Amino acid sequence: MKRVVISGLGLITPVGIGWGEAWASLLAGRSGIAPVESFDTSAFPVHIGAEVKRFDSLAFLKKQTPDSMGRSSQFAIAAARLALDDSHLDLPRMNLRRVGVSMGTTSGEPQFVERYNDIRKAEGLDAIPGEMLPKYPCNVIPTHIAMEFALRGPSLMIPTACAAGNYAIGYGFDLIRSGRVDAMLAGGADAFSRITYMGFARLGAIAKERCQPFDKNRKGMVPGEGAAVLVLEEAEAAQARGAKIYAEVLGYGISCDAHHMTAAHPQGEGAVRAMASALRDSGVSIDAVDYISAHGTGTPTNDRAESIAVKSLFGERAKRLPVSSIKSMIGHTMGAASAIEAAACALALDTGMLPPTINYEEPDPDCDLDYVPNVARQTNPRVVLNNAYAFGGNNASLCLAKFEAGVRPSAPSAGE
Amino acid sequence: MMSERICITGAGVVSSLGVGMAEFERALYAGASGAGQSEILRAVMGDGATACEVRDFNPQPWLGNKGIRVLDRTARLLCVAARLALDEAQAGASSSESNVESGLVCGTMFGSLHSITSFDWSGLEDGPNLVNPMDFPNTVINSAAGQAAIKFKMGGVNSTICAAQASGLYALHYAAEFLRLGRAKLLLAGGVEELSPEAWLGFRKNNWLSDTGSAQPFAEEASGMLLGEGAVMLSLQCGDAASFASTGKPLAEIVGFGAAQDAHSANGFDASASGATEAIALALESAGASADQIACVIANANGSRGGDWMELRALRNVFGARLTQIPICAPKAALGDTLGAGGAFAALVGALALQKQCLPPTPGGSGRVGLLLSSESQTIRGEYALVNAFSCDGNNAAIVLRRCA
Repeated sequence: MKRVVISGLGLITPVGIGWGEAWASLLAGRSGIAPVESFDTSAFPVHIGAEVKRFDSLAFLKKQTPDSMGRSSQFAIAAARLALDDSHLDLPRMNLRRVGVSMGTTSGEPQFVERYNDIRKAEGLDAIPGEMLPKYPCNVIPTHIAMEFALRGPSLMIPTACAAGNYAIGYGFDLIRSGRVDAMLAGGADAFSRITYMGFARLGAIAKERCQPFDKNRKGMVPGEGAAVLVLEEAEAAQARGAKIYAEVLGYGISCDAHHMTAAHPQGEGAVRAMASALRDSGVSIDAVDYISAHGTGTPTNDRAESIAVKSLFGERAKRLPVSSIKSMIGHTMGAASAIEAAACALALDTGMLPPTINYEEPDPDCDLDYVPNVARQTNPRVVLNNAYAFGGNNASLCLAKFEAGVRPSAPSAGE
Repeated sequence: MMSERICITGAGVVSSLGVGMAEFERALYAGASGAGQSEILRAVMGDGATACEVRDFNPQPWLGNKGIRVLDRTARLLCVAARLALDEAQAGASSSESNVESGLVCGTMFGSLHSITSFDWSGLEDGPNLVNPMDFPNTVINSAAGQAAIKFKMGGVNSTICAAQASGLYALHYAAEFLRLGRAKLLLAGGVEELSPEAWLGFRKNNWLSDTGSAQPFAEEASGMLLGEGAVMLSLQCGDAASFASTGKPLAEIVGFGAAQDAHSANGFDASASGATEAIALALESAGASADQIACVIANANGSRGGDWMELRALRNVFGARLTQIPICAPKAALGDTLGAGGAFAALVGALALQKQCLPPTPGGSGRVGLLLSSESQTIRGEYALVNAFSCDGNNAAIVLRRCA
């Protein structure tokens, strides 16, 4: 089995474009949550969102035009270009049949559904232009990336909603680990959508003022948008070309609650299984974990269940294990969320800093862990877990570590 | 390369040719076509719309009454296919298998597009405060897979895969890798696609649909595809020969997979067929099989000139002059293009062909462009089948199946 490292990061987030700007915002505890501008929210009971402002797709699209694709694809290409530039991969000298794309999303390109209905309402079905349909199915997001950079390896979308980024990074990791490809662009993308906003609003899941994960007075999540793409590369190749290595991907775990479509299992059973199988896949013990990037949406049920899950897996150690949620700052960027959070984990390993959970004021007896409240902290973590949970009970945990050359003490075994 | 065998130990199918393996197999080998006037489209579009629809579909006999109401059509199709596959797989399986080691990997292209559009429409018509919150979960693309996991208590991996028409084959490969890595014991893998008015309208406006009421793969005169719908779930298990001794002979073994993206167009086929050729070559290589060992081909062809001619070129690249002697079946002539489920349907056809050493007919498909495509069943002799799934966004996938002797 080959080792896999992260050698490039591209971020499009509500708190910054490019990892430098985004990471500075996250460490400073800056919030990207503001009144929604994408559509009129006057008929809604809530009005805030985490949108990406000042995004200029023309700065990133060199081969394709913005009107040939939806906003999620534009985000995805932008994140991919930033990640490739950051990695300094010399694509023209690589076998591009062995470079692929693996992306996650919740809604794909939902704005084409919205436009379909707007036109249907205003002018009727006959007025709907045919060119909208091929831009809709979510497979076009990785395809647009592949086209922009002439990547000819495997290319797919894993639309497992709010856990999709971790799924996609995991799949990319699998393909490199087994030797099928040399490098993957992996991540997630989602554009702000009135469909998603309406659904969460109707469930009463959106907070009115701010996002306060794990706080006793947390009122809900805040929908957001964005994208992250990570360059995953076979470790020896990355070392040989002198690449900057942010982190190593050790493994991941997937489980399904098989319990409820929208609500987390109250005891976090599926979450425990996903974390445990990520650690098993990675060949590390629970004692090795130094930090958890929480799913931490800010809803009462998620944060409680996730805290219970961490305690049930880590036992006494849970109290000394920092757990934070950057959703307090960037909202819930849906299919992009766990990809952005994976990038934040890689940066935490690289810089030694943990991003905080902001808006944390009053401890909740149900959530009694160290949530890195309000202020970033230097702890120099060596092994981190990135949690992501989704509608459909889809759970995915990803395990990253500081890269150390040579033989890793406990390499994963295929039979585990 | 593959030491552990990944075997197809059962199949559940919901199709325009019938529900359940017995009905499906009978209709498939009789050369039937699922095409006809669509009830789903009639309700929205008026008369005259032809598609390969699952007619009079009633999930109740398989799913009972409880909890059906919240399932949309995609979820119902998938859940019935999963139920049927589980029934077959568990017939001989040991009872020690816990549910956290079973899971589901589902390919789809448009998913619940109709549910998503209806939810948004309801918001436009009635206002965002009056939409039914129960309808929201159906708007995520992975909802059908999640619903199936809840229904059948599958706590292991649960993934949804979208690679357009190649989704079904990607899903099979994804599941096979999870089994090989020991992350699951039993996985249902395949695909689902419902016939939605929204997708059909888009295909029609792009002039991709056949205007003759039938799809004619590889035909010079073909005018386009027919849309189809359905679900296939193949139950996959990993083991050596001994581990299947008690469960009966598997349908077939998945031995190779290849994928390549043309990176050429998000909406059109690459006439050079370089990606399609590469995908087949990679599938053969990972199977450890040569082109000479392929006993039959299950083609992707759906009656669309761009895609069919690209496939023809890829097959010529791989098989050379021998192509005219290899029996070929194009199941989309019977099933329509079931998009995200198409690759999984094709894999099922390939597995049946190997098991019976007999390739099912391609309705209306004799004597085309010098291929061994026939409206009659064709005897085959050999161990390996090639299954193709090429998508209109340049994503090409192929798998190689081996007969379970």
